[in-house]
Amino acid sequence: MNKILIVLTAAIVAAIIFFVPPIRGLGELAKIIFFHVPTAWVAVIAFFTGAWYAAKFLRTNDFTADELSARAAKLGFVFVLLSTASGAIFSKLTWGAYWNWDPRQTTIFVLILIYGAYLTLRSAVADEKVRAKVSAVYSLFSVLTVPFLVFIVPRMFFSLHPEPVLNSSGRVQMDTVVLIVLIASVIDATLLFVQLMRRS
Amino acid sequence: MKSFVCRCEQVVAIVRKDFVVSLRRRAALAAMMMFALTATAALSLSTSGVVEPKILSALLWVIIFFAAGAGVAGTFDDEAQAGTLPTLKLYADAQAVLFGKMIHVLASLISLTVFIVPTFLILFDADVADGLLMVATLLLGLIGLSAAGTLTAALTTSAVAKGGLFPILLFPVTLPIFLPAISLTEAALTGAAFDGGSLVMMMMFDAMLVTAASILYDYL
Repeated sequence: MNKILIVLTAAIVAAIIFFVPPIRGLGELAKIIFFHVPTAWVAVIAFFTGAWYAAKFLRTNDFTADELSARAAKLGFVFVLLSTASGAIFSKLTWGAYWNWDPRQTTIFVLILIYGAYLTLRSAVADEKVRAKVSAVYSLFSVLTVPFLVFIVPRMFFSLHPEPVLNSSGRVQMDTVVLIVLIASVIDATLLFVQLMRRS
Repeated sequence: MKSFVCRCEQVVAIVRKDFVVSLRRRAALAAMMMFALTATAALSLSTSGVVEPKILSALLWVIIFFAAGAGVAGTFDDEAQAGTLPTLKLYADAQAVLFGKMIHVLASLISLTVFIVPTFLILFDADVADGLLMVATLLLGLIGLSAAGTLTAALTTSAVAKGGLFPILLFPVTLPIFLPAISLTEAALTGAAFDGGSLVMMMMFDAMLVTAASILYDYL
């Protein structure tokens, strides 16, 4: 699995450098989008994975589930920080400012706050059993905000973000090479997350 | 699946007990009120009371949020420190404890709001153009804060550095209430047309927070 991941990552990096055309008016640095989108995707996947293991822990009292929930949160925290930093750079290139509280920036920032709060809570409780229980409850409690942050808040406020690849008209509005490389990088980042979760 | 049984008499007894305790030990309520007053005075002094309605409504909710933290964080911890929490859980149903505490927290936050909102409006020389909208927004915001705040207070009972931890845990889960609450408060202050969908969203989120708190409290 590790070897496949290394080859896939190297192939994607090569494709981004040599095959993806430069984005008009933004230069080569704008290719950071191929890093930003996958890391944001994994940050959200990690959030739901953490919640799933939290629910499993509350159902079974299996401490392995608690450990996996915590690991997903730690990985999610790293990925959300990477996504926020790369997104801020892309934002500066395209909109002229690192930060403007665009609804999706707000959503990703709240994800940072939730991961940070979860990890702080874990570090603030000494007893292992209590820590596992309160962390699992908070993980599930915070997941309730996701539908509002992801689906409702971005539609309540004006967004500078481009339309999703598959938009309401059902058409793919992206160069084929760009689309293939983007999908490949999302798959690569997801596999990397799965591999990191499996590490004992 | 557990069937729903109303432990209304237990809930009422817990609310009454917490009310009596808070009257005897006024520290939590006093801290909450004084925090809100100090923050309002500091902001009004530093800005000479001249602030745009949008910023004003955001400031009001920030004050309510952090003042609530000062008063609500110890909801379960005070019981745990006194050693009465296990006894309370022994005599009353877990759901009765949660809802009793939640109602008491809501009553405390309403008292805080009744005190701080007029003070805030006077110190910033602001008028309310739509009183009904203001009351509805405040009430919906406080219900969400009470539900999330009560569960968060239960989570931090065994934690160290509770004072700092409480707002960190509470803010992300109440943000979907804050955003519409701030825009609705601005509309109430200016009298501008408001989005009814924001009120519905606050109601929905309140219902979700109360339901989730009720389900999750059983695991603590």
